[in-house]
Amino acid sequence: MTTTLILGKRLSFKHIVPFLSGGLAFLVGGIILYAAGVDPLEAYAIIIKGSLGSTRAIADTLVKTISLLIAGLAVAVAFKCKLWNIGAEGQLYMGALGGLLVGIAVVGMIPVVSVILVLIAGIAFGAMFSLVPAVLKVKLGVSEIIVTVLLNFVALLFISYLLHGPIKAPGFLPYSPDIFPESELPILIERTRLHAGLIIAALAAIFVHFLWKSKIGFELKSVGMNISAARYAGMNITKSILITMAISGGLAGLTGAVLLAGVQHRLIEGISPGYGFIAVIIALLGRENALGVCLVAFFFAVLLAGSEAMYRTLGIPVAFAQTLQALVLVFVLIGEVFTRIHLPRRFKRSNEDKIGNQGKQIGPPAERGKVE
Amino acid sequence: MSDAGPSFLTNSTDDHSAYTPTSPSVPKPSEFLSVQTQDDQPVLSMNGITCRFKDVIANKDVHFDLFRGEIHGLLGENGAGKTTLMSVLYGLYKPEAGEILVKGRRVDIKSPLDAISLGIAMVHQHFLLTPNHTVTENIIVGVKPRERTIFLRTTDAEKKILELSKKYGLKIDPKAIVGNLSVGEQQRVEIIKALYRDIDILILDEPTSMLTPVEEKALFSTLSAMVKAGLSIIFITHKLQEVIEASTRVTVLRGGKVVGTVMTSQTTETELARLMIGRTLTHSTGHQQGEIHVGIEKSPNTKASAGHATVLEIKNVFALNNSAVQALKDLSLTVSKGEILGIAGVDGNGQSEMAEIVSGLRKVQSGQVVIDGRDITGMSPKQIREWGLAYIPEDRLNTGLILEYSIAENLILDRWYSKPYSGKIFLNKHEMKRFAEEIVTNFDVRTPSLDIQVRYLSGGNLQKIVLGRELSREHKLIIAHNPTRGLDVGAAEYVHKQLFKQRDSGVGVLLLSLDLDEILLVSDRIAVIYAGRIMGVFDRATADVDKIGLLMGGYVAEASN
Repeated sequence: MTTTLILGKRLSFKHIVPFLSGGLAFLVGGIILYAAGVDPLEAYAIIIKGSLGSTRAIADTLVKTISLLIAGLAVAVAFKCKLWNIGAEGQLYMGALGGLLVGIAVVGMIPVVSVILVLIAGIAFGAMFSLVPAVLKVKLGVSEIIVTVLLNFVALLFISYLLHGPIKAPGFLPYSPDIFPESELPILIERTRLHAGLIIAALAAIFVHFLWKSKIGFELKSVGMNISAARYAGMNITKSILITMAISGGLAGLTGAVLLAGVQHRLIEGISPGYGFIAVIIALLGRENALGVCLVAFFFAVLLAGSEAMYRTLGIPVAFAQTLQALVLVFVLIGEVFTRIHLPRRFKRSNEDKIGNQGKQIGPPAERGKVE
Repeated sequence: MSDAGPSFLTNSTDDHSAYTPTSPSVPKPSEFLSVQTQDDQPVLSMNGITCRFKDVIANKDVHFDLFRGEIHGLLGENGAGKTTLMSVLYGLYKPEAGEILVKGRRVDIKSPLDAISLGIAMVHQHFLLTPNHTVTENIIVGVKPRERTIFLRTTDAEKKILELSKKYGLKIDPKAIVGNLSVGEQQRVEIIKALYRDIDILILDEPTSMLTPVEEKALFSTLSAMVKAGLSIIFITHKLQEVIEASTRVTVLRGGKVVGTVMTSQTTETELARLMIGRTLTHSTGHQQGEIHVGIEKSPNTKASAGHATVLEIKNVFALNNSAVQALKDLSLTVSKGEILGIAGVDGNGQSEMAEIVSGLRKVQSGQVVIDGRDITGMSPKQIREWGLAYIPEDRLNTGLILEYSIAENLILDRWYSKPYSGKIFLNKHEMKRFAEEIVTNFDVRTPSLDIQVRYLSGGNLQKIVLGRELSREHKLIIAHNPTRGLDVGAAEYVHKQLFKQRDSGVGVLLLSLDLDEILLVSDRIAVIYAGRIMGVFDRATADVDKIGLLMGGYVAEASN
C-alpha cells in the first residue's frame, strides 16, 4: 500500500483495481478488433487521436462529456442515497421539452436570463417527472426501479407524439421549431461546437460535491444508507426521498435542457443517444462521487468520440464503443468482487453472519479483547 | 435467577462424583484421563487449535477435552473466542493449526455436514428453522429417507420424534407449525433436530438468552437427562450463573486462549469471573461500591421513587405491530424522575412497540403518552427528542448507528441540523471532530481513529457511541432497550453505571431488557409485560423472582395476589 494521495484518499489495492480492470477490458476489446481484421493498436491510436488529437476533436469530446457528466451526476446522487433511478433518459427528454417550451416562448430578454430560464425549466420538468416514481414509492411502497425504467418509454413516446403532432415545425421531419437565438448556450471556442454547457456541468459537479457536505445532504445520505437509523434519529424519510429524487431528476432534466440549448437548438427524437442509460454505468464506475463521475464521464466521452473517428477511418461500427463500455463495466464489477475478497474484515463479518452471531461481535477479536 | 431456582447441580454432579478436583491453572488434557470412569479417552479432544482472521488471532493454541456424559461449560467474554472455537469444531472455520480427535480418531471437519456425520451437532443462538413448516418437516430436513419413495412420509419420523420427546422431557407436538411456537419450544425443536441425527456431542450456543426462567429450568433438566443417556454437551455462555447451575466442568477462554479448566463443584462464581475477565469486577451502583457476585447482588434501593414527580406516563395505549397485529393492549405505566423502571418480559411481548410509541416511531391507535407534563402523542420523533428524550435503541447495529459512517457522523445523527454542529447550509467539520473527541474521551471509546467506519468497532464501543450521543443531549427521560445485549461483563457494567448516574441526576429511566438478571440488578421498580399488557409492578425490594417469572410466562392465576 502506498500513501500516494488520490482524490484525497490513500491509493491502495482497492483503487488500482479499476484501472487494471480497464486495461483488461481494452485487452479483450483488442482481441475482438483483431478478430474483425483490424490492428488493435492502430484502432486504439485512432480513438485517442480522434478524440484528443486536435482542438476540434477535444471540443467534440468535451461536448459529449457535458451530457455524460450531468446525467452521470443525476444518477450518482440517487444511487448514493440508495434510490435506483434508472429513468434518467426519460427525465432528460422531459427536461429538453421543458427547455424547448421556454426557449420558443421567451423572446426579447437578455441572453443570460433567457438561457437560465430554459435551464430552470429543464430542471423543473425533469424533477417533476422524477417525482412520479418518488411519490409512488413513499405513498405506496412501489419499487422505484420498475417505475423509473418504464417511465423512460412513456417519456420517449410522449415526446415522439408531440414531435409528430402538436409541436412539429413546418416541414417533412419530426422536428420542433428552433428556440430563439438568445436562449442558446454561447459557443466558448470559435469554430468548434464547445458551448457554455461545460460551465454548467462543472457547476453541477461542484454542487453535487458540496451537497454531501451540507446539512440536507447528510440527511438525504443517512436516509439512503439506513432508513431505520434515520427515522430513529428524527429525520424525515418521506421528505428526504422526494428531495433526492427531485435533485436526481432535476439534474437529468438539466442534461436535456443543455443538449437542447447547447447542441441541437430544437427538440428531435434522438436528442440523446442513450446518455441517460450510459449515466447509470458512469455513476457506478465513478463510485457515486462527483470527482469519480467527472473522470469516468470524460473517459466515456473519449471512447464515444474516438469510436466515431474509428468508424470514419476504419469502418468499425460505432457500436464498438458500446462493446468497450460494456467490457469496462464487466471487468470493473469483477474487480470489485476481488477487492471485497481481499478485505479480510468484511470476509470475517460474512463468516459471522453465517453462524448468526452478527449482533454480538463485530470487529477483530483482538481489538475487542483489548477494549472491553 | 440464582436466588430463585432450585439447583439442578445436585443431580448432575452426583453422576460425576468420580471426578477429582483439579487446579484451575493447569488445563492439561491429560489431567482427567486417570479419573475417567466410563471412558479412558475423551469423546472429543481439540489440541493446539489456532484460528486467525488475517492478522487477528481468534484462538491461540487452544486445548479442549470433552468426556462422555459431561456438560462442559465454555465460558468467556464476547470476543474471547468461544464461538470461533465451536465454529472450528462444527466445520464453519478452518483452523490454521491444531488437530481434532473424535473418539481418539483424528478427523478433518470441512463442513457442518462432516460434523454431523461424526455425531456433532450445534444449536445456534438464533434458530435456523423454517417458520411455515411443521416441527417434523423442520427436523427431517436434510436427512435422507430410508425408502426410496416419491412422497414424503412423516409417520415414522413423527414416531421417532415423540420417542425422543418422551425420553428427554422435550415436550413438543410434531405436527405444530414452527412459526406458532414460543422461543422455548423452538429451541426444543432445534435440540430434537440434533438428537434425531443420532449425535454424541451437542453444542449449545448461548441457549438461555431468550428463555424465561421456567423454560430455562426445563432446559437444564433436559440436559441432565441427555448426559445421563450418554451424550456429551458443550454449553457456550457468558453467564456465570448458568455455568454453575448446569455444567459439570468449565473451560474459561480469554483473549482466544484457555485460561483454565475447572470442576464446577470446585469453584465459585467469583473465581470464574476473575478467570474470565482477568480482573476483579466492581459494580458501582451509584450508592455503594464493592465486589459483586455477578448477577446476584442487587442495586440498593435507597432512593425510592416515592415523592418524585412523574416524567413518563403511558395511559391506556393500544397499538399494532408491524404485522398489524395488536401488540399493545390497554398498556399503562408511569416512570418517575430519578428512578429506573425495569420492564421484564419475554421477547416479543410488546417491548419494542412500547419503546416505539414513546419515541414517536410508532403511532398509537388510542391512548396517550405524556412526557414531563406534555402530551407527546402524535408528535414526530424529532420533536419528542427535542422535548427531552434520550433513546438507546434495541438494535444498535441497524437502528442506533449507521455502520458506514464515522464516529463523528454517527454522533450528530440526531442533531445534524442544529448549532454548533452545522451552520446555515454546511455541516461544521471542526465542531463534529471536537465533539467526537470529547465523546470518545468521556465515554472511553477505544478506536484506532475517528475516521474509520464504525462497523470495525466492537459491540461495547458501538454502544458507548450510542450512549455518548444520547446522554449528551438535554433529556428528561431515557429509554434503554436491551442496552447491554451482547456486551461482555465489563462493558455491561459501564452501561449500568451510566444509567445509575443518570437516575441519580434526576432523570427517569425506562429500561426494557430480556435479561431478567439485568432488570433485577438495575431497576428500582419492576414491571412485567406480557402480551402487550403490564401484568404487575413490583418494588424491587419486595420483588419475588418466581412470581415475576410466572407473570412473564403469562400465568396470571398462580401469580396473582
